[in-house]
Amino acid sequence: MTESTDRVDRAGQESRPVNAEVARITDLSKTFHRRGVKALDAVNLTLDHGTFTSVIGPSGCGKSTLLKIMAGLIPATSGEVLLQGRPVTGPRQDIGIMFQQPTLLPWRTTLQNVLLPIEIRSGSDAAQARSAEALQLLELVGLEGFDHVYPHELSGGMAQRVAICRMLVTGPAILLLDEPFGALDELTREYMNVELQRICRERDATSFMVTHAIPEAVFLADRVVVMSVRPGRIAEVVDVDLPRPRTLDMMTTPEFGGLVRRVRHSLNMGTEVGGQA
Amino acid sequence: MTQTTQGPPGRAEMSDAEELWYSGKWIDRVPQWVSITVLGLAMLGLWWLIAELMPQNLRILLAGPADTFEELWDTTKNIVTGGHIAEGLWITTQEVVLGFLAAATLGFLLGVVVGETRLGKRAVMPYLVALNALPKVAFAPVFVAWFGFGVNSKIVMALFIAFFPVIVDTAAGLYSVDADTVMLFQSMESSRWQTLRKLKLPSALPFIFAGLKTAAVFSVVGAVVGEYLGGGHGLGELIRLSAQTLRIDRVFALIVYLGILGLLLFGLVAWAEKKLLFWHKSEIFEIQGTG
Repeated sequence: MTESTDRVDRAGQESRPVNAEVARITDLSKTFHRRGVKALDAVNLTLDHGTFTSVIGPSGCGKSTLLKIMAGLIPATSGEVLLQGRPVTGPRQDIGIMFQQPTLLPWRTTLQNVLLPIEIRSGSDAAQARSAEALQLLELVGLEGFDHVYPHELSGGMAQRVAICRMLVTGPAILLLDEPFGALDELTREYMNVELQRICRERDATSFMVTHAIPEAVFLADRVVVMSVRPGRIAEVVDVDLPRPRTLDMMTTPEFGGLVRRVRHSLNMGTEVGGQA
Repeated sequence: MTQTTQGPPGRAEMSDAEELWYSGKWIDRVPQWVSITVLGLAMLGLWWLIAELMPQNLRILLAGPADTFEELWDTTKNIVTGGHIAEGLWITTQEVVLGFLAAATLGFLLGVVVGETRLGKRAVMPYLVALNALPKVAFAPVFVAWFGFGVNSKIVMALFIAFFPVIVDTAAGLYSVDADTVMLFQSMESSRWQTLRKLKLPSALPFIFAGLKTAAVFSVVGAVVGEYLGGGHGLGELIRLSAQTLRIDRVFALIVYLGILGLLLFGLVAWAEKKLLFWHKSEIFEIQGTG
């Protein structure tokens, strides 16, 4: 956890960030004994600083379970997750998380929602003191002037941007995104993907996203991890070497189409293997 | 996607949608106060007609609107001048309000225990469900025996009838909390107390207020049942005495005052709900356009 803080900011450059390891998943397995289901089987994965990893797989492949174990929300049966050199044994401040639903508290303003993680960990005074920072984050996601608005006055896309701010406010080392735009309509979703890419680049964030959508997985990622079902294991890792920043127009190029095809093919193989097992 | 230069969308959009939805029905084109007044007058007319058509020897059993309004006027004069009806009203008011407050407090606390702890859910809740299924008014003589003929037995009766909906709704409200948001709180290392105070209780408020509104109505029922069976000097006792002497017009007039009492308490709770739950409008949970 040393090199990440004093790294030279390379946002805006085309070169890949230096290979500083942020998280390492080693032989991670998870069995739900009550249901007798082996959700994850010997998963190994390394996340480098500033990279975006998409995880895709059929329902029940354990990708959400993997994300929850990485978040310290549920324990692994065996293996471990190392984040910034320390094993994850429970929720931590250096882990940011975001769900399919914005999960904003409707009785709190946008600003109060963004400051919630600070308030829970360090109290109201500490949260108050971080207001300026929270306002900067709102500006980053394009919500300046919405700080005193209540969630019911926000559109679905705007609410998810607030959730992004709330995730970023503690300055996490890793962002765990559980189908973050899955509940949005297609057009908003594409727009939010472009926005997420911009935000991740500006913050030089290390991100790990679970998704059901192949084009979304490819569009955002440096690496698409394809998982197979029962037991959930990594079927293939597809490197996405499209230049950044990526635009929606790039989704119609043959290169993009080729990557989508590769991921789809890999997904189909994984499902068949899982089905036969 | 809405551009950020725009202000937050106003509420007017929703009422537009409502207007479009309902515009086809004639009842929605009549102002509501008109439909209420017309229906009220029609019912008064029906009441008057039935009372007029009663055979002379049975007329004493159904006081007509005119007799009732005259009696209501006398009752009001009695109350304003501090007569015995004013005293009865004051006694019943105390029973209702104290019974309601006790039911709200006890119901809320037990509801939190039932809704928040495994023991409460698995052991206490089944007893409450069973107890709730009992005809609670049947306990009135027991409370009279235990707490005497004064106001205490009526307060306990009001409490006993009114606190079940508060418990059940508080617990249901705590169960209804969104699972993802609970997970979010876990990820923020929120303590159990913090999660309860900052997430679960506010989320449960709409349910708790539904329970409190039911309790407001039930506490009047409890106090009056207590008075019917346990005597005293409240409005319930005055109604019982009036009915015994076949003063049906007076019974109706006193029931009007019981209704006012119940409505006031209900209105107070509804007002508090509106103040506290500004964020919880039916339209909030409608899926809003993201365009």
